[in-house]
Amino acid sequence: MKFKTRRSILLITLAVSGASGRLHATGVDFARQILPILSNKCFVCHGPDAKKKELLRLDSYRGATRDLGGYRAIDTDHPEKSEMLARIHDALDPMPPQTSQKKLSDHERELISRWIGEGGHYAKHWAFIPPRKHPMKMGIDAFVLAKLEEKQLTFAPEAGRATLARRAALVLTGLPPEPEQLSTFLADKRKDAYERLVDQLLSNPRLGEHQARYWLDAVRYGDTHGLHLDNRRGIYPYRDWVVRAFNDNLPLDEFITWQLAGDLIPGASLAQQVASGFVRMNPTTSEGGAIPEEFQAKNSFDRTENFGTVFLGMSLTCARCHTHKYDPIPQTEYYRLLAFFNNTEESALDGNSYTYGPVIKAPEDQSAWNRWCALESEMDELLSGAAVQVEERILTLTAHAKERTDWKTGEWRISKTVDADAPPPDNEKKQWDKAGGLPGIRKNHLPASDKAVWLSFEIDVPVDQVLWLVYSGGPGSEVTVDDTPVPSETEASPRQQTSRIELVLPKGSHRVRVKMVGPKKGTPIEAHLENPWQAMAGTKDWNLCSQRDRLLMLADPRGPLGHLLLHRQARTLAQRIARATSTFTTSLVARDRKEPRTTRILQRGEYNLPTGEPLKPGILTVLGQFPEDAPRNRLGLARWLTAREHPLVARVLVNQIWQRTFGEGLVRTPEDFGLQGQQPTHPELLDWLAVELHESAWDMKHMLRLMVTSKTFRQSSARRGDVDDPENRLLARGPSHRLDAEVLRDMGLWASGLLDPHMGGEGVKPYQPAGMWMAMAHPASNTKRYIRDHGQRLYRRSLYVYWKRTSPHPMMTLFDAPSREASCVKRSRTNTVLQSLGLLNETQRLEMARMLAERLMRAGSNDSERLNQLFMLLTCRTPSQRERAACTQLLQTLRTRYADAQGDALALLSSGDAKRDETLNPTEHAAWSQVAITVLASDAAIGLY
Amino acid sequence: MTRRQLFGRTALGLGTAALANLLGPDLIAAQGGGQTGTHHAPKAQRVIYLFMSGGPSHHDLWDYKPKMRAMFGKDLPDHVRDGQRITGMTSGQKTLPVCPSKYAFAHYENNDRGVWVSELLPHTATVVKDLCIVHTTFTEAINHDPAITYIQTGSQIPGRPSLGAWLSYGLGSVNENLPGYIVMHARSRHAEQSLFARLWGTGFMPSDHQGMLLRSQGDPVLYLSNPAGVTGSDRRAQLDALAALNQEQHKRFADPEVLARIRQHEMAYRMQTSMPELMDLSKESDATFELYGEEAREPGTFAACCLNARRLAERGVRNIQIFHRGWDAHGNLPKEHESQCKDVDRASAALIKDLKQRGMLEDTLIVWGGEFGRTAYCQGGLSHQNYGRDHHPRCFTVWMAGGGVKAGITYGQTDDYGYNIADEHGNPMKPQPSKEHWTPGTMHIHDLNATILHLLGIDHKRLTYRYQGRDFRLTDIHGHVMHDLIA
Repeated sequence: MKFKTRRSILLITLAVSGASGRLHATGVDFARQILPILSNKCFVCHGPDAKKKELLRLDSYRGATRDLGGYRAIDTDHPEKSEMLARIHDALDPMPPQTSQKKLSDHERELISRWIGEGGHYAKHWAFIPPRKHPMKMGIDAFVLAKLEEKQLTFAPEAGRATLARRAALVLTGLPPEPEQLSTFLADKRKDAYERLVDQLLSNPRLGEHQARYWLDAVRYGDTHGLHLDNRRGIYPYRDWVVRAFNDNLPLDEFITWQLAGDLIPGASLAQQVASGFVRMNPTTSEGGAIPEEFQAKNSFDRTENFGTVFLGMSLTCARCHTHKYDPIPQTEYYRLLAFFNNTEESALDGNSYTYGPVIKAPEDQSAWNRWCALESEMDELLSGAAVQVEERILTLTAHAKERTDWKTGEWRISKTVDADAPPPDNEKKQWDKAGGLPGIRKNHLPASDKAVWLSFEIDVPVDQVLWLVYSGGPGSEVTVDDTPVPSETEASPRQQTSRIELVLPKGSHRVRVKMVGPKKGTPIEAHLENPWQAMAGTKDWNLCSQRDRLLMLADPRGPLGHLLLHRQARTLAQRIARATSTFTTSLVARDRKEPRTTRILQRGEYNLPTGEPLKPGILTVLGQFPEDAPRNRLGLARWLTAREHPLVARVLVNQIWQRTFGEGLVRTPEDFGLQGQQPTHPELLDWLAVELHESAWDMKHMLRLMVTSKTFRQSSARRGDVDDPENRLLARGPSHRLDAEVLRDMGLWASGLLDPHMGGEGVKPYQPAGMWMAMAHPASNTKRYIRDHGQRLYRRSLYVYWKRTSPHPMMTLFDAPSREASCVKRSRTNTVLQSLGLLNETQRLEMARMLAERLMRAGSNDSERLNQLFMLLTCRTPSQRERAACTQLLQTLRTRYADAQGDALALLSSGDAKRDETLNPTEHAAWSQVAITVLASDAAIGLY
Repeated sequence: MTRRQLFGRTALGLGTAALANLLGPDLIAAQGGGQTGTHHAPKAQRVIYLFMSGGPSHHDLWDYKPKMRAMFGKDLPDHVRDGQRITGMTSGQKTLPVCPSKYAFAHYENNDRGVWVSELLPHTATVVKDLCIVHTTFTEAINHDPAITYIQTGSQIPGRPSLGAWLSYGLGSVNENLPGYIVMHARSRHAEQSLFARLWGTGFMPSDHQGMLLRSQGDPVLYLSNPAGVTGSDRRAQLDALAALNQEQHKRFADPEVLARIRQHEMAYRMQTSMPELMDLSKESDATFELYGEEAREPGTFAACCLNARRLAERGVRNIQIFHRGWDAHGNLPKEHESQCKDVDRASAALIKDLKQRGMLEDTLIVWGGEFGRTAYCQGGLSHQNYGRDHHPRCFTVWMAGGGVKAGITYGQTDDYGYNIADEHGNPMKPQPSKEHWTPGTMHIHDLNATILHLLGIDHKRLTYRYQGRDFRLTDIHGHVMHDLIA
């Protein structure tokens, strides 16, 4: 539509003058009030993606005030003559046009009129301007109070101490306070008793588990590939790393950098590489018939858009097909951003493989991580001790390295599956296949531990060599050189997945054979020869070799460092490391290709319609400049994100932390800080927190501490008669909402004493109704059968529940957990019938209720004491009279009922695997179980308040 | 999103249907009838979607192409394929041999030009006068996961709400004791493709719009039954105590969500009675089983699911979907499709007849179809007796019945190879999904979805949900209501 004729309508003049008369004091705020309207209703034609060059542009001041041939859309000299005013009020030929999906409301028309009347000034969208601290105000409460005072309000009274302790513990750790912790706190009369409690909670390792869970939703962590077969994926070390990062309070800038580009950090540590699994988190497929180029594009879209949601709090999706209609994101910049992610080494299709490479081996749970980190520091110490001696011999080392890479192997062949105790298959051709993928990783897995697979290859060594063979297999595996068994220096552990053995090879040709026996079915098959000298020969620089290679060179008895005093220590340490890493497990990591993949704009986002020149990786220019000295790869991208002047990242992060703490963010659309997102409820507070995050060196725990110790947080959460604010946008009361799926389960396990403290490890499979996976799964999927766990794994924290993306655990999805196929930075909080059924009938809840009943019966001698304890555990207080009466009545009813129906009592008490205390009277026990499950389902237990 | 936000947004033009859902049936009733929530007067009160997952072969069921017989085994002419991309499964084949259907087709009268139906669908053939058969449905996706995600959510990449979730969001439930959106998985001997929770999931919408699985194994609804050792009166006592506890909590904090939860607990209690009554087929007459077939007595069969669908429809459930897997016949198509058709043919026809005799067909929309069609050329070995077909997105057959669609019509045509959508002279057309243009005689999957919404009283362009600053629609920026199909 073109602006055709100039009109002057009395009505408009009235609107302008009338408005300016009424509202002198506070002018219209362009960024907050006008820009969202323009971007929503006008930009679709008159915005960044304007199709015609000559068309009026309303996304900039210059465009809006341009001379259109004797008239202007916004006439700054004579606001009442602005054509825009005429057109938005024109009943016959309005803007937006009659045919448009979107129309202006009267209120919007009035706002625009007022704004033009005030001069029609433009300003940048608030979220694209770097945050600054308010010059006068400090601390959370000052900002909140200022806003309350505008409404002649003040803070609500502080919540009761017990309620507050429960709230803080649930917010920080996802569990109620321990009873001793609570009673100590309640008895602590010191002024800073609450701060002390908060500090305890902040150092509790349960904190990392709870905080990590929100992050896993955002990055869409899953234990399966997500598409088509939805097969298993080896990436849980990433999840455990996130928990560690939060517990160790890794500065958030490093937290971001390691995930985006840990693999590109020079001399990357194991943890940094594992963290780069973030890049690999997108759902993938290997559907028969899938076209790799198509999925290369789709995988990159997914990564780019997830990056947008998680770090920028913005949707970039529109710009995949065309320049963004609302936000200033040109399509070219979308593809430049995509270019950072379009260059990773993995194939576009996942091969339905658990070890969808590139992968590394990483600790299998938190205690293994702890052991590994201790070994890493020992390694560090030892290597720095050796630095001088190495320096002195650097020439010898380089020369030696060259010699030590002088060997080659023939073709690697692999046998059919044979019995574990059978000899190797004879040399007949049909018994052996080419070992595709080896040296390296194969797509196939080892059979169960009573079967074996043999590997065979020839090796030529022109000079005597020592090499290390690393291969899949645990106890029962063996290696022969020229049919002579090679003794192992270390004892195999039953969980061992990989073995490492030293091969001493005299000059000549040898045949190496390996019998691989897995600790369990499904162990990935991999094997390679490890030779630390390779790196040295390549780089010719000791310090550029990995820590591990340096240690192995030092530990090599044939090497030129073999006579050093440190050599013996190095050798022992290397053996200990070999033992520690033998139980390590697969984790997908990012790695860039040597030859960059070309990125071009894809027309309409179609993979087969690339167009234009190849694009260099680049950022969204509306959000600042790419640091000049930064590399044009993911590492540079991370530097751009974490630069002080970046307008969004710190705001987005503190908003996420605020949302975890208060239940709702300061920006209530955490997924959208763009022009169409909601304005922050407290813009100056958001900015103050963002700068505070920078100034605290990205200290997450500091931010959490600021929030939970604020007066704002400590308010009572009861609704106030004097405040009409159902959504609590004023923050005139404390947080209240239903707890998340994971917390509901964890709290029950915790109260019943069933919660297994084990941290980390492969996803666990608690009870689940039969057939749920089978009813949906592809027959070839390796996740079609849900085989539930036994023993302690049933009681692991919910963070560790196995996440099959096409069918997550029903007790998670019932209570609003996302599928993790796409990023989720804010879960819905619904209230449904099925939740009610789940709370009262699900196997694990019945089991936790009866075990909780046991705990109550053992601890208290009468009903009253038991009820007190039940309520103390779940609500941190004793029951009110009415609650006591309700529970007592239920108890009496059930006692009478089960006294005459022992069979029913026993049936009820048989739910779940946990052993029942048979010394307890079944009638009593059953009655108490039902009381417990009822209180566990009550809002006093399932709510945060 | 909170209720309040939605109220606020409604004033700015969010579909009133979504508002009706939030207010609940009480308010709709108070405003005088069940129609106030929709954008326009609906033709259909409910929809039953029979989803044939895997891609049924239009060649062997619906789209009769006698001229292909003479081309048996010869390479598909290049001009027919015309550069169409083909999946990685057949792109390596040296030839693309034309594969005529081995099945006999018969011509049936309808209210239009008549229709050819394969001998594999003898029962469905008896109801063609009620069917609105569209030969020219098309999509862009060529593999299952993207294609099924596309037709069910409007996007090939996971993350969007499903058709059913949109309907739940738009329509709500009129039965207090049953959820508004119910999904069933029917058994198949060839369940070779997977289903995903996202197909009835809510994406970025609140999760209470997700489809409730009505299961044939264990509890029909997850966690429905009281545990062993707990009777209905025990549960009653428990719920009374729970209500007292929650009222106390409400007294302390005055949070209205607590009261809402008390209502959900009560509704759950009622559902514990209504579900077993629903699943109990003992009061169904012999005539019913004559109609649906004896296997309707066996939980989990497609026939049983169809019978359940009718029972749910009678009880006010407005949004029912049955997924039947196993249509992905890359090889051994005859054996597999014969078995598949045996599963669905009689029961699909029975559902139509049954609803008709109960006077419900006119306001119940039934949709039958998969995510794409199958190729005119053979995948793998070709003989007169056995063959396979790869995925084909350019045309496939979907039928609808009841609920305001024209009865007994045959819509659109394909070329002599059932490969391209064709004009009335048989010349290939290349329709593209487009915001502005709709090619008469064709039905893109967005058009299908727009039409389903339209029949239920919803304007697909106005039923929106804001996420990440954008008003999302089921049909994305596409979709044209197929007025040609509407009575």
